[in-house]
Amino acid sequence: MTMAATSHDTPVETAERPTRKQPDRTFWLLAPGALWMLLFLVAPILMMVYVSFWTQTTFKIEPTLTLKSWVTFFTSDTYLGALWTTVRIWLIVLVSTLLVGYPAALFVGLFVKNKTLSTALLVLCVIPFWTSFLIRVLAWRPMLGKEGAINMILMKIGVITQPIEVLLFSELSVIIGMTQIYCVFMVGPIAFMLGRIDPSVIEAAQDLGAGFWRIFRTIILPLSMPGVVVGAIFVSVMVLGEFATSAALSGRKVNLLGNIIVTQVGSLKWAFAAVAGVVLTILMGAVVAALLRVVDLRKEL
Amino acid sequence: MSAVLQLKNVHKAFAGVPALAGIDASLANDTYVSLLGPSGSGKTTLLRVIAGFEQPDSGEILFSSRRIDGVPPHERGIGFVFQNFALFPHLSVAENIAFGLTNRAVDPVTDAKVVAGRVRDIIGLVGLSGLEDRATTQISGGQKQRVALARTLVTEPSMVLLDEPLGALDANLRMRMRGELRTIRERCGVTFLHVTGSETEALAMGDTVLVLDAGRIAQSTDADTLYSRPASADVARFLNCYNIFPGAVSGDAFASPVGALALGGVKQTSGNPAYAIRYDRVAIRPTDAATADDEVRIEASFVASEYSGAAINSFFTLDDGRVFEVETHLSHAAPATYEEKGRYALVWKREDALVFV
Amino acid sequence: MNASGIKFGLGVYTALFIVFLYGPLVVLAILSFQTGPEGGPQFPIIEWSTYWYKHLFGLTPPSRIAPLPIDQALFRSLALAVMTMIVSTVLGVTAAQAFRKKFRGSGVIFYLIVLGMMVPGVLVGLGMALVANTLGIDRHWWGTAFVLHVVYTFPFAFLVMLAIFNRFDPSVEEAAWSLGVPPARTFRKITFPLIFPGVLSAMLFAFTLSYDEFSRTLFASGRDLTLPLAIYGTFSVEVHPNVFAFGVLTTLFSFALLGTYAVLMGLSVRRAKRMAIQEEA
Repeated sequence: MTMAATSHDTPVETAERPTRKQPDRTFWLLAPGALWMLLFLVAPILMMVYVSFWTQTTFKIEPTLTLKSWVTFFTSDTYLGALWTTVRIWLIVLVSTLLVGYPAALFVGLFVKNKTLSTALLVLCVIPFWTSFLIRVLAWRPMLGKEGAINMILMKIGVITQPIEVLLFSELSVIIGMTQIYCVFMVGPIAFMLGRIDPSVIEAAQDLGAGFWRIFRTIILPLSMPGVVVGAIFVSVMVLGEFATSAALSGRKVNLLGNIIVTQVGSLKWAFAAVAGVVLTILMGAVVAALLRVVDLRKEL
Repeated sequence: MSAVLQLKNVHKAFAGVPALAGIDASLANDTYVSLLGPSGSGKTTLLRVIAGFEQPDSGEILFSSRRIDGVPPHERGIGFVFQNFALFPHLSVAENIAFGLTNRAVDPVTDAKVVAGRVRDIIGLVGLSGLEDRATTQISGGQKQRVALARTLVTEPSMVLLDEPLGALDANLRMRMRGELRTIRERCGVTFLHVTGSETEALAMGDTVLVLDAGRIAQSTDADTLYSRPASADVARFLNCYNIFPGAVSGDAFASPVGALALGGVKQTSGNPAYAIRYDRVAIRPTDAATADDEVRIEASFVASEYSGAAINSFFTLDDGRVFEVETHLSHAAPATYEEKGRYALVWKREDALVFV
Repeated sequence: MNASGIKFGLGVYTALFIVFLYGPLVVLAILSFQTGPEGGPQFPIIEWSTYWYKHLFGLTPPSRIAPLPIDQALFRSLALAVMTMIVSTVLGVTAAQAFRKKFRGSGVIFYLIVLGMMVPGVLVGLGMALVANTLGIDRHWWGTAFVLHVVYTFPFAFLVMLAIFNRFDPSVEEAAWSLGVPPARTFRKITFPLIFPGVLSAMLFAFTLSYDEFSRTLFASGRDLTLPLAIYGTFSVEVHPNVFAFGVLTTLFSFALLGTYAVLMGLSVRRAKRMAIQEEA
């Protein structure tokens, strides 16, 4: 027989449901981190925007708001030139890291079947990243100079008779250096996405008679796009914020926005540096937003 | 007997989909209660709501007459045995068992000798002697099961929830553990709420069986009653031992797809109208055999027989294509052989049928 | 489609690619064995010697080439890296723990944290210098630079811990709660030991990032330089092979760190495998 569902004998507490403490816990766990970021990341950036509107005298700045620094920036050839150089170098390095890194990612992510081997190769590519950034920049000097390694080797095997001068202290050296330093960020995400392609899809295409280029264009490339976009975002963020590589390898010839900021701060022209900073921020924001539109990352990842 | 757990109109939905749609139940003290429900019926959700890992959307939960909905799980005093055991992988067997005793907020046992003593006792009770210092990866599935049990029993809860505790064990072990679980529970004197999707397990283990169907308790009774008197056609279906015909009552017969079936059995009001006859209440006779007045007769074609130890399950196809199953216990008669596709009469007593209106 | 031909071609390309990645470092290493003090930072190698290594440690007779200012800077970089490692790991673990449950505004907070690794060092360094100037605070490596290092490394620690928690089976925590153990103690005695490999990787990550970080530190460290800043200072001046020798040593140091990390991870992975086996049984 069914059980009686009541127990009238024991009085039952009909008190309010006990309140939960869970929401508080989440708040307190997040508070320190969020506060840290607000104070030491958001506030400095906002400050930079604010200061870009301050009045700049020769050695001091005053909180009087003015657009003078902005006008100077956009009417001066040097600074507009720096902006243009930044955009130009960013595009060139982005394309070159993609072109240089993609085939390697293709090999490691798609053609190497052994998982251990492909992981080992990726680790091999990543190890240089773990060494000091400055040392890696520096290491290009003895490579590219007139008496550097490349010239020596090329002369020894007789390809050239005179050392190639333009290798060092030029825009080319900056591009070569940046490509080498940042292409790892392309290889990683692309290899990852390629590794996720189901090999049977490619086999099916081969069985249907598709040639390599066809398969590449219609299957491999589209499926690797999220990796390309992620890599592009990494590379873009780093290249746009660059100044050390251009300083070390171009001998002051190449002026990126980053370099402008550094030199302006050096001369204590804070408001002006702030203007360059805000321009750089807007440029970066636009680039990242545009890249995120290429592929709906949330869906693909 | 006082109720150790009471659920009143408990609701819980996930992203708009209801998992518990108004649970009302009462569990007595010192009993073995099994909860039967097919997958997707919400049985794990119910267990997690009782334990406090999920909060119900509405309703009341009373444990030992105290309202506990909203109380965090570590303050409820209800034990939980997980389906995957959830043993602490970085602690030994003895350390796993002692963990609750030494680390609980209320009344932790600080005297190492007392802890050792109680751990020793419970290890003896569940049958793990000699394995105290083993790592959790060095013991078998059945032993892990016992560690999970011992770990919670040593803290002397008033109720233990078991989420498909025998699901991860092989068939042999499962049989053995059934008896052991009952023995252990009796020795400890606490209520076990044992959730399972297997009807044989639920019937075998529970003093009381709760049947969960679409987020509601469809029936709550003892095993015998459930087996003979399922409260609805749906519950009968879960029991996997009833042939069920849809249709409607018309006059003094039940109009089913295979013709009118005379009434005379128990009539129950519940859900959709149906006519049910248990597998083992049906006799197989040649088509020309006589039928008594109090019997119901239909014809079917034989398909195959399945031998399952003490019984034979024979399958027939009815004229409308349905399958009809008959269970014959071998203690009653020698097994007969039936001709494949041969026509036979399936006969049962009117009063043995269950009619739902 | 000539699959094996393409595979071979790509394989050769990848080998060249790796040469491209390591080339400069190898050249650097070779040149660090240049003889000194006359030998310059270019080929040919006049004579192989360990002169510049000795020069680093001040073991050579004084010459016109000033030794690298590394003593104090090295200490500051290490101390700063340790401080950053501790703070950003704590923040990363607590934030990731918070993200285990859904809550309103989680998207905003997520991007706020991740922003820290996206914003270039020059910008945030500049902003911090401006803030310090306006508020009249002095810039020090242990103050203004330290907070920026944490801003940079905290998101990395956070993402590592998010990944670890994603794979973490919460039933062991629920088991502890059902035994009457309160959440704080459960975290200390159950959760933390099991996520420790992740915590270790987060710590190592943060240490390495901070140790090598310099664009943020450039404007924010005040007078006393960290190691990368000291190195950067030598860029504009003539470069001598002593910097190369330093580069080799610092690279070896990074490799040693990585090696330690790999060993520790190997030990922890073995423990994780044991956990996985438990779930399968």
